[in-house]
Amino acid sequence: MRTFVEKPAAALATRKWWVIDASNQPLGRVATRVATILRGKNKVTFTPHVDTGDFVIIINATQVKLTGRKPIQKHYYRYSGFPGGLKSISFEGALKKHPELPLQQAVKGMLPKNVLGRQLITKLKIYASAKHPHEAQKPELITL
Amino acid sequence: MPRVKRGPQPRRRHKRVLSQCEGFWGGRKNHIRQAMHVLWKSWQYAYVGRKLRKRDFRRLWITRINAACRENGLSYSKFMGVLIAKGIELDRKVLADMAVRDPAAFKQLTQLVNAG
Repeated sequence: MRTFVEKPAAALATRKWWVIDASNQPLGRVATRVATILRGKNKVTFTPHVDTGDFVIIINATQVKLTGRKPIQKHYYRYSGFPGGLKSISFEGALKKHPELPLQQAVKGMLPKNVLGRQLITKLKIYASAKHPHEAQKPELITL
Repeated sequence: MPRVKRGPQPRRRHKRVLSQCEGFWGGRKNHIRQAMHVLWKSWQYAYVGRKLRKRDFRRLWITRINAACRENGLSYSKFMGVLIAKGIELDRKVLADMAVRDPAAFKQLTQLVNAG
């Protein structure tokens, strides 16, 4: 008996769309759920080297919450490569400037760091408000 | 001095080695010294790979059984715990295959577990 291996084409054909409302939800709770769906680990056909996951739309990204003092204390860093080129932005600041950044970073960190992982993250769509342009895909709502 | 090429024996040996090195990168597939070196290493990797394969597949089956269990409102650990307690000796390989190819039968199993 051979273990079932999902074909990429078959995985592509059965791909669905989900909507998750991030308002008043802790960042990590949303991110773990999203990462699981993107990778397809919630499906019986999960195959490690094939993208078996679905698309996920996150709405109300600006209303995602962190507990305690983390909104002020948590920072996102990036380094330009030049001396003194370390830029940082707090969680609050990031939400104002790039509403999708905290969720994007959190989910990306939970995906595999390889070619497939970089492919998976492209299936994640994040929007600051309750509106999204994917009505045509008929996404279904997931309640956390 | 004339160029000396040694006899048929080494040539055969080299041919045998190089034929196993197809697909290796650069000189590793057509230079005998490099080829022998990486061929032995490849056998070591293959040996390790045969051990790892068993663990990798077990991990995959567990992931799939877990996914199937959660669709039926159970967690993997609860499911396996009850199966073992009830003396149902289906291994993870069979269970994972059932989850993919015969979801109805798997559902019946989870109902059995939920009942007990």
